[in-house]
Amino acid sequence: MQGPLIETLVQQGVSRRTFLKYCATLASMMALPPAAGLAMAEAMAAAKRPSVIWLPFQECTGCTESITRSHSPTIEGMIFDMISLDYQETLMAAAGFQAEEARHNAMKENMGKYLLIIDGSIPLGVDGGYSCIGGRSNIDLLQEAAQGAAAIIAMGSCASYGGIPKANPNPTGAVSVSDLIKDKPIVNIPGCPPIPSVMTGVLAHYLTFGSLPELDDKGRPKAFYGETIHDRCYRRPFYDQGKFAKTFDDEGARQGWCLFELGCKGPVTYNACATVKWNGGTSWPVESGHGCLGCSEPDFWDAGSFYKPLSTPADPLKFVAAASVVGAVAGVAVSVANRAKKGAAKSAHETTTLADLEK
Amino acid sequence: MNELLFLTWVRGTGLNIAVGIFLLGVLWRLFEIYSLGRKPDLSAPRHASGASGLHTVFRRSLPPPGMLKRSPVSYIGGYIFHVGLAIVVFLFAPHILLITNLIGLSWPGLPSQVVDLAAVVTMAAMVVVLVDRINKPVKRFLSTFEDWFTWAVTFLPVLTGWMAVQHLLLPYTMMLAVHILSVEILLVVLPFTKLFHAFTLVGSRWYNGRVNGHKGVPV
Amino acid sequence: MSPLETIPIHVINPLPASLADPVGLTGNAPPLLHELSESVRRLLDTGETTAIDLSALPLTPADLVWLLEKLGTGEIAVTLQANGESTLNETACPGIWWVTHHNEQGAVTSQFIEVALVPELVKAHPLDVKRGYEYLELMMSDL
Repeated sequence: MQGPLIETLVQQGVSRRTFLKYCATLASMMALPPAAGLAMAEAMAAAKRPSVIWLPFQECTGCTESITRSHSPTIEGMIFDMISLDYQETLMAAAGFQAEEARHNAMKENMGKYLLIIDGSIPLGVDGGYSCIGGRSNIDLLQEAAQGAAAIIAMGSCASYGGIPKANPNPTGAVSVSDLIKDKPIVNIPGCPPIPSVMTGVLAHYLTFGSLPELDDKGRPKAFYGETIHDRCYRRPFYDQGKFAKTFDDEGARQGWCLFELGCKGPVTYNACATVKWNGGTSWPVESGHGCLGCSEPDFWDAGSFYKPLSTPADPLKFVAAASVVGAVAGVAVSVANRAKKGAAKSAHETTTLADLEK
Repeated sequence: MNELLFLTWVRGTGLNIAVGIFLLGVLWRLFEIYSLGRKPDLSAPRHASGASGLHTVFRRSLPPPGMLKRSPVSYIGGYIFHVGLAIVVFLFAPHILLITNLIGLSWPGLPSQVVDLAAVVTMAAMVVVLVDRINKPVKRFLSTFEDWFTWAVTFLPVLTGWMAVQHLLLPYTMMLAVHILSVEILLVVLPFTKLFHAFTLVGSRWYNGRVNGHKGVPV
Repeated sequence: MSPLETIPIHVINPLPASLADPVGLTGNAPPLLHELSESVRRLLDTGETTAIDLSALPLTPADLVWLLEKLGTGEIAVTLQANGESTLNETACPGIWWVTHHNEQGAVTSQFIEVALVPELVKAHPLDVKRGYEYLELMMSDL
């Protein structure tokens, strides 16, 4: 832990206005009222840097790639310098026993105070043997590191929900962080990969208020995952007008119409892509002409085709032919039975004669 | 099972089962009804103007003289909610997409705000019709479990669909799944309840009109 | 002609719409003007300032152009060089400021309409003024 953040920033030649501007943008991203930017700036300027340990498990390093591409060298990158990132395999210079030692030291010195960032799911199959670091299984490492953590940030869909490793048939028995750790506050930052600014936003919140942001029932920060892609999408007016692109290169696609019919999962995906965007605000999947895959939703990989509209069957209707045949056969069988009954009634009919009535 | 997988289930396996039972039931009942047959009427046909199957199909959609005044809620409410249902079911873009996907037919839809309004009007009309059924002693006396049940399974898809679009009560994903599930319940129930009138209405009117037309009575 | 220019490129996507081209207008912009007039009234009556986050509203680029053209250009245009350029421009209605933050790559990161006598970001912070004062004192003592 060192001095207030603003002092470190000033030393690095970052002016207060630069910082205010960053906070205004951050508040806008977190859907906070514009006035909150000022409050954040004041609180964050006085904040101290916490120790952060980042453990990668069954993952593809895409989340790390995403974070390191957070339009450096902007202030997000600097904020990242403002935390003390004590263990991150991909970024750290140390290797082997040195690296392990760095982790142990950080855990010991900041017991109960460090932030633990996890990316990747945790495989439980063959006693966790599918993914090991330094001869120790992921589950073992997680349980050890979680003990002294103030809070855990599950980075990406794998750590948050199990992600692609957990996709059917889940060969490694992958589970999420929250499946295993129950006694620590956990923030899920799903996405494949998650948006870098969302990550720095959560860290900024932790620095500002000393607590984790408000979370929804899936453990996600409400500020970023409070609304669906569809509701914040700039193509939404076209959905309401019923203007849809039918293929990826038709007139509608060129006019930037809604991608619902091309399988966009925006209506059921909660994320901030539509407002925060990617690559330093350059663009985002829907803006570049492709529907949302829903990568920040649990089990998105098993939720039907990426290219089938949400309102259409997820699978071909297999029972249709069989059901039609069975229905027709049943109908014919019943009508045959009815006719037989009618025939039987007819043949059993006895003519009433006058003599019968006089009995 | 989470929301997204529930949605995938109702879009996949659930829809598969529901459409299967629906088709099975519809074909069964249509075969059964139309195979019943009737004895040929050997009497000489009498002709009267306006007495035919086709006439009756249309005439039965209009209230007989005086009835509109005696039972305005049944006629006006009934008309509004049937027309509203048709607009909501057949002119909402995602619904058209489903139909296109299933049978290949396609037509232009209405703006979602218009469909939204139609849904609200439909629900209001259905509630009015229900209240009328509860308030009028005769209607209440004639109502059986089936009447209340079919009202509910018709109302729920409209309500849940509208709530999904308006983001009420549940997250959209869950509400959409509940909406699709409610439609699947409707599909399963339809062939085996009075809702089957969707298929038999024209046929039975035609039949009655034809039989009476043969006797020279315009009904 | 450089070899690059011989590559046949033609732009299919329409360029950003302007007033002359009503494509892309959603009708969400006019209500914002009513909100602004309310805010200006509050500024006059109580001195309370308001900021409207434009990226939080469902506005298309065409809506923003429409709004910008409606509000017009005022006398003052402030440019701030801080981690990319920011512009704080007075509109034709004094008290309404159009604030745009760019990042270093020039992309817009956030956009606000601020209703205030002077935008918040233009004011100097007392701590910074103090730092400036110290510098001034130091400079004068060296003279």
